[in-house]
Amino acid sequence: MSGIFSDIGDRITSDESEGAFNEYIDEQLQDLIDGIITDGDLTEFGSQGSDLIVEMDDITPPSFIYGDDGQGGGGGGSGPGSGGGKMSFSLPFDKVMELIANRLELPNLRKEGKGKIKEVSYEFKTFGQLGIILDKKRTFRRALKTSVANGIYDPNEGKFEIQIRRRDKRYKLPERIEKPKYRAVVYYMGDISYSTYGERLELEKRIVKFIHNWLDYNYGHNNVEHRFFVHDMEAREVMPEDFYRVSNVGGTRAAIVFDLVNQITINEYDTASTNFYGFYFGDGELFADDAKQIVDLLEVMRPIFNRIGIVEVQPSRSSHLNSKVSARFKNDRIIRIDELKHNKETINVIKTLFGAVP
Amino acid sequence: MRMIHSDPELKYLEERCLHYADVFGMTLPECRFYILDSMEFASLLEKRVYPVSPINIWEGKRMLSKKYRIKEGMESSLYYEVVQTGRPSYAYLNNTNSAMTQATVIAHVYGHCEFSELNVLQDSTDDRTEYVMWMVKKVNRSRQQMGEKSYLNYWNAVESALPLIAPNSQYSLEHSVETDRRTGTRTKRKREEKAEAPKPLSPFSSTMDSLLRPTQKSSPFELELKTKLRQETLSRRGYRLRAPCQDVLGFLKEFAPTTKAEKNILEYQYIIHAPSDFVMRTQIMNEGWAMYWEKKIMMELFREKSCKGIIDYCKTFSGVCYPRPYYKRNPYHLGFHMWVYLEDAIKKGKISLEFQEETDQKVKQEWDRGDGSEPIHTMRHLVKTVTDYEFLRRFLTPELIHEFHLNRIHQREFVRLGISKREVIKEDSNWVWLDPRPIKKEMLSFFTHYYRPRIYVIDADFEDGGLLLYHRDDGRRLRSNWIQPTLKNLNMIWKGGVTLISRNTLYQYSGGRQREKRIRELAFETVVERMMEGKKPLIFE
Repeated sequence: MSGIFSDIGDRITSDESEGAFNEYIDEQLQDLIDGIITDGDLTEFGSQGSDLIVEMDDITPPSFIYGDDGQGGGGGGSGPGSGGGKMSFSLPFDKVMELIANRLELPNLRKEGKGKIKEVSYEFKTFGQLGIILDKKRTFRRALKTSVANGIYDPNEGKFEIQIRRRDKRYKLPERIEKPKYRAVVYYMGDISYSTYGERLELEKRIVKFIHNWLDYNYGHNNVEHRFFVHDMEAREVMPEDFYRVSNVGGTRAAIVFDLVNQITINEYDTASTNFYGFYFGDGELFADDAKQIVDLLEVMRPIFNRIGIVEVQPSRSSHLNSKVSARFKNDRIIRIDELKHNKETINVIKTLFGAVP
Repeated sequence: MRMIHSDPELKYLEERCLHYADVFGMTLPECRFYILDSMEFASLLEKRVYPVSPINIWEGKRMLSKKYRIKEGMESSLYYEVVQTGRPSYAYLNNTNSAMTQATVIAHVYGHCEFSELNVLQDSTDDRTEYVMWMVKKVNRSRQQMGEKSYLNYWNAVESALPLIAPNSQYSLEHSVETDRRTGTRTKRKREEKAEAPKPLSPFSSTMDSLLRPTQKSSPFELELKTKLRQETLSRRGYRLRAPCQDVLGFLKEFAPTTKAEKNILEYQYIIHAPSDFVMRTQIMNEGWAMYWEKKIMMELFREKSCKGIIDYCKTFSGVCYPRPYYKRNPYHLGFHMWVYLEDAIKKGKISLEFQEETDQKVKQEWDRGDGSEPIHTMRHLVKTVTDYEFLRRFLTPELIHEFHLNRIHQREFVRLGISKREVIKEDSNWVWLDPRPIKKEMLSFFTHYYRPRIYVIDADFEDGGLLLYHRDDGRRLRSNWIQPTLKNLNMIWKGGVTLISRNTLYQYSGGRQREKRIRELAFETVVERMMEGKKPLIFE
């Protein structure tokens, strides 16, 4: 570059303005995230790890123009106004979770198993003169350079020969990359007795969806095993889609599901290298000795688990699980207890379950 | 981005084009050519054809969406010619174009540069690009001074005022505002000339004189008082509105209370957007002029064989100059054919009273009474004296409208628009030709409002220092849910109440509050009259 443009660099770009716009959108997304958490768009995440398509009102500076009133209110004065159109963005899953984490001030989950199990992969980033996988592009480029230098390739003279010599050859060299591999198992435990229906289920679904995504985000999609358990008078493991299927049995016993989960944890996994999470959802209406048994089981599970959450969904006056458990585990680092009465409380419950130590 | 001399082939073509421009006697500033890739081109256009711009979200937004559209194949990344005229002019070439296309672009750019140099609106200025680059530095410094948030807010507020630029309007800043440096606006002078009484026929007796001469309405005392009042206002505020001012952003730039940083933003935005007014007023002549010279120079290049691909050139040319119906304006087509027609008509002496008055069609058809002078002198004289409106008003006849197919509409379009069969004068299976006579009037009406609302500043001291704007009715309503947000943004620039009169409604934004009030409709003529008399334009009964 020369002349008066010398100080603008080699290229004309709008990079900085694009950055400014992205920052602006990030700010707007914070509002959107609030909406996602409170208004129940959590279920729109799609299946694990897929991108989220976000639509927001298009922005245009308002001015005196002719035309019909479009949708939207023209924005708030100095801020960009709304032109009635929509802008859509594709947000990567991780970005959404990161925004949510920032918004809710959630700490990253503590991971165990570091140094014990390694994920090994190979990357081909370096190149050498000896090897097995020939990098054709690089080799050709070197060969061409040599041929031009030797004068055997010269289009102006009509010479088009290219010789590939041994020293031109470039091979891809594998590099061993070791990353610590974490493994997590999540148990979702649900009360499907007759009294759990309608809105209760909806509230439960939203929380479960969030936990699912949050753990996937923290451990990586392929490293988390999600297992679903239900109970009425008896406890059993079900397919995810059956988790919300309410049975028509009236009575309910919750301790048996904790017991089942505990058994599975000890029998099926290496407890030293795996991270365990357990979440119980129910209305908290239990038989008298049920809560006591649960407290006893929690004592056993506590050292093994990274987190155990107990959420009473729309508890009634006769719900007493939480009070019993909290009498023993108040402000506990591992065992978190909360109740969910309304959509709006979802954020608080998430904060209780995953926030810093109370 | 690299300069043209890094490519010997292009450099040679540039030299040949320049040679022929010289042979044809073109008046050219220094033209500097740069070669860009397509993404740089897209970015350059977003910066309004300057190589740099201050950081702003709007450019970022448009650029991101453009990149996305180019990536998805919804938009082509090919741009042919882009030039920032001025002395020197900066023109940019797309590196993916063939040599022939590059030559076309260079020739075309020369056409634009000459037009910019010669035109009546005096578009060309010294060191325009350099000045803007300097302004960008100033604005970036302002951004640091103001802080990100206030900078963004102020910039956004100015965006709202961008369509309100009219430096070449009859009611421009120069014509409407009287300052201590600029007394006696042009509009005022016109009024005084009008007021001058005709001289009495027989000035024999003083009695007759006083009878014949219209009596002076205001006494000398009143006149004295008025002058004094005017001087006082001038000395207090530094300016006085003598007539409505259509250049609202220009007005704000000059007279709104601003910090230095804010002033930089206003000035930058004004300077980069002001030329669009020139483009709007001269587009047909300008593009036509560029096409005319492009073709002339290219024909020479093909003749001397410094450039190959005449068939391809013809294809591109006819694509660009393809006739479109009058309401879809193709300035390249109309402008080019108008200049070609004029060249021929001037050569044959058809632009004359005798030709117009000749009634015998046969004589008219065979008319060839040129005085042997070069028509290009007359054509250049036209560039120096008129804009599109006058150009079309004088030379575009119904016959030409028909000849240029400006009245030709596709059958499907004809049905869709629901035009009456009575207006059709000719049709075939594909096309319909409408009666060309009313078309000229419609084309000219474009130049009164350019399909945009006409907004004027009519009072800068409305209800204690508020800004009063007036929307001149063109029979269409403003988009109502944008009025208040726009007023809010203008309020941020003016730092006082801002009010808009549109039809019978007064929209007000002041002190963070919006107000709407019904008033009696106020005619534009009344406003002008009251302002000329030094009265308040809006008087509440």
